[in-house]
Amino acid sequence: MRKVLIVLAFIFAVIGIPFVILPLGTLGVLPAGLSLVFAVLAFLKSPAGHKNVPKWLMILAGLLLAVIVVKAMIPDEVEKDTEFEQKKIDSKQEDLKDLEELENL
Amino acid sequence: MRKIIFILALTFTIGGFSQNKAVKPGEKFVYAASYYMSGLMTQLAQVTMETETVKTSKKTLLHLSCEAATFSKWDSFFKIRDFYESYVDPTTLKPSLYKRDIFEGKYTKKEKYIFKDGNVESTMSKKGGAPTTKTFSVGNSQDAVSTIYLLRTVDFSKFKTGQVKTFSVIFDEKKTTVTAKYMGRETIAAGNLGSKECYKISIAATTKALKGTDKNIIWLTADNAKVPAKISFSIPVGTGQLTLTNASGL
Repeated sequence: MRKVLIVLAFIFAVIGIPFVILPLGTLGVLPAGLSLVFAVLAFLKSPAGHKNVPKWLMILAGLLLAVIVVKAMIPDEVEKDTEFEQKKIDSKQEDLKDLEELENL
Repeated sequence: MRKIIFILALTFTIGGFSQNKAVKPGEKFVYAASYYMSGLMTQLAQVTMETETVKTSKKTLLHLSCEAATFSKWDSFFKIRDFYESYVDPTTLKPSLYKRDIFEGKYTKKEKYIFKDGNVESTMSKKGGAPTTKTFSVGNSQDAVSTIYLLRTVDFSKFKTGQVKTFSVIFDEKKTTVTAKYMGRETIAAGNLGSKECYKISIAATTKALKGTDKNIIWLTADNAKVPAKISFSIPVGTGQLTLTNASGL
């Protein structure tokens, strides 16, 4: 039973990692949360002196959850893109030339 | 993202719209674009629609623009910087010039339509390739951006539930016929405008860009401004929505 819990905690922690890396909001709470639950259960089922692996799995799952929560608190913003802004300004100047030409046709 | 813009564009009627009293210079609408991923609606990008007056030596035009940009957290994975613009007559919203500049990941595309006497002279280039030009007849059809704004001049207060209108939009150098069905009124959240009663309009098209029946819907506030408060869409690669977060300059 202890080994099953450790394997499950490990699998869900591995699944949780891409969810943390990718900007998928709080979706990663599910695998990371399950990993933490299984890691805690494995820790409780482990005899003294054999708690090292579930302990590190708990730390990993806890870290994953912490990162997800912190990332979720960062507001969605569009980065200031000077190249894009300049392109719009240049485009507008070109547009005015086209419109003047069109009027003079 | 270009499909979202197309869906927006499908909201133009050939007839049945009045002179423009709804669209004014200085408007700015900001939307959060979300996409249905892994069972959750995930916010991907910000869409901004703006209007401003532009003067040439002979005319005063209305510059309509629509910009889509991914939120910074997505930029490393899939960066989008799309810019659509149209220069229109402020009263009739008839376009003179339409431009589209697409930057989506590695995909780029530029398009320019010059409207003259029922014809369009188009210039298009994809992925930095050599531009191609062609001239084709468009009749009374509008470009993608001006159609979004023209929809706001339609008097939906006189529509009956289920009433259908025929639409015509030029997109990707093709004239597409679509229909808009008035589905009644609904009260929805409209960003800083609060809870607003809206006209609910279902969009359908004879193109593969749209999927399902009554799955592509636009809600316009049931007032003089007819602000697009929400747009839900269903396209071959999934479903999503645009929700108004901020409207100013009304």
